[in-house]
Amino acid sequence: MSALFAGTTILEFGGGAAGPIATRYFADHGATVIRVESRRRPDFLRILRLTPTTPGGLDGSAHFAVLNVNKLSVALDLSRPEGVAVARRLALAADAVAENFAPGAMARWGLDYGSLVRDRPDLVMISTCLNGQTGPHRHYPGFGGQGSALAGFNHLTGWPDREPVGPFGTITDSLSPRYAALLLGAALLHRRRTGEGQHIDLSQVEAGIVCLAESILTYTANGEILTRMGNRSRHAAPHGVFRCADEAGRDRWVAVAVHDDEDWQRLVDVLGRPAWAVEPALATAAGRQERVGEVEARLEEWTRTETAAHVASRLQGAGIDAAPVEDFGDLHDDPQLAHRRHFRTVEHGVLGSHPAETHAIRFSAMEPQLDAPAPRLGEHTEYVLRELLGMGAEEIDRLRAAAVLE
Amino acid sequence: MSDALSGIRILDLTHEPGFLAGKVLGDLGADVVKVEPPEGDPARRRPPFWGGTADADRSLLWLALNTSKRGITLAVDRSRGRELLLALAERADVLLESEAPGSLQARGLGWETLHARNRRLVLCSLTPFGQTGPRAGWRGSDLTAVAASGNLYSTGDPDRAPVRCSLPVSYYHGGLEAAVGVVFALLARDTTGEGQHVDVALQAAMVMPSIGTAAMFKMTGQRGARVGAFMSAGRTVQREIWPCQDGFVSFALRGGPARVPGLIAMVAYMDEHGMASERLRAVDWKTYNHNLLTQAEVDALTREFGAFFATKTMAELYRAACERNLMLAPVNTAREIVASEQLAARQFLVEVDNPGRGRLRYPGAFAATSGQTVAIRRPAPRLGEHTVEILAELGLGERDVERLRAEGVV
Repeated sequence: MSALFAGTTILEFGGGAAGPIATRYFADHGATVIRVESRRRPDFLRILRLTPTTPGGLDGSAHFAVLNVNKLSVALDLSRPEGVAVARRLALAADAVAENFAPGAMARWGLDYGSLVRDRPDLVMISTCLNGQTGPHRHYPGFGGQGSALAGFNHLTGWPDREPVGPFGTITDSLSPRYAALLLGAALLHRRRTGEGQHIDLSQVEAGIVCLAESILTYTANGEILTRMGNRSRHAAPHGVFRCADEAGRDRWVAVAVHDDEDWQRLVDVLGRPAWAVEPALATAAGRQERVGEVEARLEEWTRTETAAHVASRLQGAGIDAAPVEDFGDLHDDPQLAHRRHFRTVEHGVLGSHPAETHAIRFSAMEPQLDAPAPRLGEHTEYVLRELLGMGAEEIDRLRAAAVLE
Repeated sequence: MSDALSGIRILDLTHEPGFLAGKVLGDLGADVVKVEPPEGDPARRRPPFWGGTADADRSLLWLALNTSKRGITLAVDRSRGRELLLALAERADVLLESEAPGSLQARGLGWETLHARNRRLVLCSLTPFGQTGPRAGWRGSDLTAVAASGNLYSTGDPDRAPVRCSLPVSYYHGGLEAAVGVVFALLARDTTGEGQHVDVALQAAMVMPSIGTAAMFKMTGQRGARVGAFMSAGRTVQREIWPCQDGFVSFALRGGPARVPGLIAMVAYMDEHGMASERLRAVDWKTYNHNLLTQAEVDALTREFGAFFATKTMAELYRAACERNLMLAPVNTAREIVASEQLAARQFLVEVDNPGRGRLRYPGAFAATSGQTVAIRRPAPRLGEHTVEILAELGLGERDVERLRAEGVV
């Protein structure tokens, strides 16, 4: 079959991570995703590490590049009514609109759902921001790091005797795009069946809290607050991350999860049945939990002398859940990710050839495609105005002369 | 308006890693049927239990992530159970599962068999590493999937081991990707008339949560690092998580056009409390660049902000943040989340009646839509709650079900 979303156009306003990652699910399956951008107020990923000497300037951001492959860019001056008029025509011509500006921004341009739906009754539109489009804290100006704290992820991550840390990478920025892709996909399915459109208001904080429902219920049912516990588990021991032999001056670690008493016996065998491990008191999960510190220390005495790869493969060979702790460099040598073609190479005008990743879903009858690098700011303005709006050269020239096209 | 996924029947055979996938599809209106072995899913036996009573219908993990599903017990390892599952699969649109790769096939329930019985069926498999490849046979769980994704290495304090979130974030990311995969496969089916096998891996699902940093390695050479409650900026390390009077807040010294107004407002707020020094008030925010600070300058700022936060509670600071546009957030626990006025205004928390056990407050819809299409539809099923009504769809009467029960099939 041709790509799933061939012929589907999604117009994207906003930037950063959460919005752009969401539309990638569609772009990687053939949708035409058009970013509406501005040179005066560029996407913050384009300027995050920008210095006067950055090659390519606004087009030279590696961070923007890896997240925005497979997209087109239109640059408009939205401070001008003519620019807004063009954006409106694009929105009405698209199959769906996705935006992650602060609440109210789209309305100030007259590009909110309520304004657009009058001319496009079956419009599908998703708005995502930290706290949602309504409520007293809707204008709260946070980024992903704040979203993670508000949703409860930071409190649950780290060591019980220290400050919370939060998972690397602002987790609400990675959960909310998946919800957004799900909601947009379901909305497109629904419109195909019923002809009805809809507006979706996705609060990144709320969506994150839905994932942590176990923690909310533990409080609402029992009044107990779940808190961070390092790598330990309430249900299994040992369950942790252990230091292995350093390699090339780098710290190396292995993660090991012993889920039940059978796993423990397998581990004891791998260790060569040393006296400390064959103690009957450690044969039960409760016994191991009671002396978990000692068990962890003993286990680490062994892992310290071996490479992480060796420990993981020996344990896996014995049927025990274990994996080397990979750093971002290791991922590019990971045989499983290579097998799944998780990273693909694209050719970028400024950055050269670089890898970008696609999602974690593999289909038996369709394949995600990374065809094009992230766009230069405004790279496709004329193309899109011509192809999507059928605009003639004269009108395009006039808009360009009036600096409506940036 | 009707629901986005109304009319879609999903058989959900997943264990904990897949609970969220079926739940969100059920919230979108699909008819999700949880299929468990007669003794129940292992999650039913896991504490904490509601009220501390160890009972298959009181596990909070089970109750939390299996809402919007009906439930049936079926011993699919027995030939009669397998037959009944295949009969259900003939009438279903989707089968979701999280067994080890090859395990369904070994039981005569692999993709080829299912596809032959129902060409329109979508099979979605969620596993630690995926269905094929050199590590497909590896065991895995949240800790090891996150370890193999690059995300764990950079989470935690520099002087200790990499550390995970104490709740399984890879199951959330992977479960949501599975749900996306199901919807995409249903869209494709509209064109082709055929279902397909959807293969989602937890390891791969945890790479993007590092927000592009993994792919950027080839350009930056940065393998990642643990910086704890801090982050590295330019040539310095800057605090990101700060103690306050009753907990912690997240706040950064980072500047940039979107953030500088928040820093200016923070200094004004401190000044109103007489806690902004001459030096702090003299900072020129027009030229401020957190990347160019020296560590001594960072440390001086840190002392001042830290001293101020220590005099305030999380709630006070967040109220000020909302009123004054400060870029500061409380490190919420479940208690602050349940008390949130924002969530109350959006009616996010909802009461769910769990028959025979009482009402319980839940996080509600994961999005608000103009058509009210996202909602918790029903409480998590009690063990075997809908076995009779679902088998009735296959033409089995109560007496047949009694016989199956006696044989240990249901």
